[in-house]
Amino acid sequence: MGGVEHEDPPSKRVKVSSEESESFSNSSSLREPARCSLSDSMARPLESRGDDEVVGVKGVVKKVELVRIIAEALYSLGYEKTGAHLEEESGIPLHSAVVNLFMQQIIDGKWDESVATIHKIGLMDENIVKLASFVILEQKFFELLDGEKVMDALKTLRTEIAPLGVHTNRLHELSSLIVSPSQTAIDGTSDQRLRIRSRKKLLEELKTLLPSTVMIPEKRLVRLVEQALDLQRDACRFHNSLVEEMSLLTDHQCGRDHIPSQTLQILEEHSNEVWFLQFSHNGEYLASSSSDCLVIIWEVKVDGRISLKHRLSGHQKPVSYISWSPDDHQLLTCGVEEAVRRWDTASGECLHIYEKSGLGLINCAWAPDGRRIFCGVTDKSICMWDLEGKEVECWKGQKSIRISDLGISSDGKQLITVCKETMISLFGWESNSEKFIEEDHTIISFALSKDNRFLLVSLSNQELHLWSIDGSVILVAKYRGHKRSRLVVRSCFGGLEQAFIASGSEDSQVYIWHRVSGELILTLPGHSGAVNCVSWNPANPHMLASASDDRTIRIWGINQVNMTQNGRHSNGVCYCNGAT
Amino acid sequence: MDIDPRICVNVAVNDEDVHNIVLSYLVHNCFTGTMESFIACTGVKQPADHLVDMEKRKRIFHSALDGNALKAIELMEEFTPGLLEKNKDLHFDLLSLHFVRLVCSRRCNEALGFARTKLTPFGKEQRYVEKLEDFMALLAYEEPEKSPMFHLVSLEYRQHVADSLMRAILEHANLPSYSIVERLIQQATVVRQCLSQEFGKDGHQPFSLKDFLKS
Repeated sequence: MGGVEHEDPPSKRVKVSSEESESFSNSSSLREPARCSLSDSMARPLESRGDDEVVGVKGVVKKVELVRIIAEALYSLGYEKTGAHLEEESGIPLHSAVVNLFMQQIIDGKWDESVATIHKIGLMDENIVKLASFVILEQKFFELLDGEKVMDALKTLRTEIAPLGVHTNRLHELSSLIVSPSQTAIDGTSDQRLRIRSRKKLLEELKTLLPSTVMIPEKRLVRLVEQALDLQRDACRFHNSLVEEMSLLTDHQCGRDHIPSQTLQILEEHSNEVWFLQFSHNGEYLASSSSDCLVIIWEVKVDGRISLKHRLSGHQKPVSYISWSPDDHQLLTCGVEEAVRRWDTASGECLHIYEKSGLGLINCAWAPDGRRIFCGVTDKSICMWDLEGKEVECWKGQKSIRISDLGISSDGKQLITVCKETMISLFGWESNSEKFIEEDHTIISFALSKDNRFLLVSLSNQELHLWSIDGSVILVAKYRGHKRSRLVVRSCFGGLEQAFIASGSEDSQVYIWHRVSGELILTLPGHSGAVNCVSWNPANPHMLASASDDRTIRIWGINQVNMTQNGRHSNGVCYCNGAT
Repeated sequence: MDIDPRICVNVAVNDEDVHNIVLSYLVHNCFTGTMESFIACTGVKQPADHLVDMEKRKRIFHSALDGNALKAIELMEEFTPGLLEKNKDLHFDLLSLHFVRLVCSRRCNEALGFARTKLTPFGKEQRYVEKLEDFMALLAYEEPEKSPMFHLVSLEYRQHVADSLMRAILEHANLPSYSIVERLIQQATVVRQCLSQEFGKDGHQPFSLKDFLKS
């Protein structure tokens, strides 16, 4: 290769010594921007070097850009020689000679020269030139102050920085700084951003100010790769476990084995159809209720096994709804058009019975402070009681019809009920304001996400509609596939970060969809009767419970064998009883 | 409903009152020369020791107006010792005048030194911090009159400081801080406005002194 004037590979990159942040007086070693055989191309502007050449199947990746960010990545990693080699071999310089000069001048602290060089780079936007000049001269100002050259700093401020006419507030701050450099005298606090910073940091800031075609942003390639990983993760339909590390070597894709799909336990304590079940907020308990008028509290043991803890009897009617208190210490249960009972989780004792004479209660919910409860009444009103049973307030009118679902919004200020057949009301019970969700078909039931910002509505046309209720009300997604024509069938959110939607179905299966894509990913057979209700353990994304007309509750989990084979953390004892 | 001017004619106006009003105005504004002529012409009794005070007040006022704050401060030490210590806002305003003078005459070194020694101590109190920052900002400009802080170097600002200074001195000497004629005008304006509000909501303009004087 002719024309090379140095024996070492030419280094066009600015060298930054590692102790540079401490002292500014010794400038780092600078090698002259090297000439190479392609010196002609160095002089030519970047545009005219076949910039349109593309690589990759899709034809969207420009070769010049790719090589430049690879070179930047090499330098960021510390591979100076390789970086320089790449620039030479490809004939594509990372930065133009002017920019290289500029960067070296910054590192060397040649402020006036660097400001002059900025004007030569050929930036289109005058404002950027001014902003960059400001930042450079600000550094000059600080270094002068630091070196006790107060009058020089003042001169720089007056004659070089002020005329730029940008960042007026900052200019005034610098003025104050000259007068009291310690800064603590003026406002009593020492402000981080007013202290001096390293030249390297200055260079980094300049990289963000100048267009990226002029100066490649720091670690651009790594950023692109991180973006790709994020997208892979979001697209992973079965993503249900915390993944320790993602590999760059293959696209990330979880297999189905992370989603509960194996029956791990069948609970047969109820003597009639099981209508409702729900895990407590901390995932340590499961409560189920049945048309046999019984409510059962189950305990979720550490090894994942579920065992019976309390049988709560007292209701005279089938129990259709359960609500855990915010701290999980208590439970509200509602008999159909009967009374609401409050129980203590630990002892199983019934603490209070809420009734309205002559009327029946149809649903129940806790206020976020756990000190008051709401109940829907058969006369379509909603009542609020304190724990002792004193009625605090009552909202009359078309507030709540026979559907036994009642929820509270994330800010704790809105009551969510089905007020008409095709309408859900979000009722601000303190502000008396109301928002509505209108559907085209009869509403069967609804469920709230854990953060109470989303509502999943089950409709008579066998669709599930997902609504965002934070702020304005927007329909976000629809899910179909399950069967529902006669009964009340419930659905829920679940999995890691509530990435999945699950629902019961009249065809005896559990249905699971990927929330974001709406895709039906699993159907779980096993029950021999309609599945009325599902609940996903909020604390364990690998545990799902289903309640069925076949009088059983099934606990679903992940396939233990496959898990241990993949060398991952096993969920516990494999006690699969053979059901698939 | 406007007051019928003919009613006013029946109110007697005492010459002596008028003389006192004019005299108080002249004394208040330190117009010594005019005051002496007036006294000579009308034979009104000369106010006791006001002459000496007036002269001093006049000098202090004009020093401040010219921006010669150090002179003003010196005179005040003589005339009203202890006033500036009590009235920190005033002290700050005067010092800032001097600072502005230094900056405007491009004596940056001095300005910087003066700011550091005399002005920054005020910065310990929160209420002076913002004012201080505004003044310090002047240092950044080669032409302070054209900077965003131009109002601080203007005549209006000096006037404002001089006026506050006068009021403080008068208060200190237990003299009224507004002359009688000013108070009369203020009162008349308020009364007229109240009347026009009460009796005529439609079509009546608010009381205008200018128009009244012309009529």
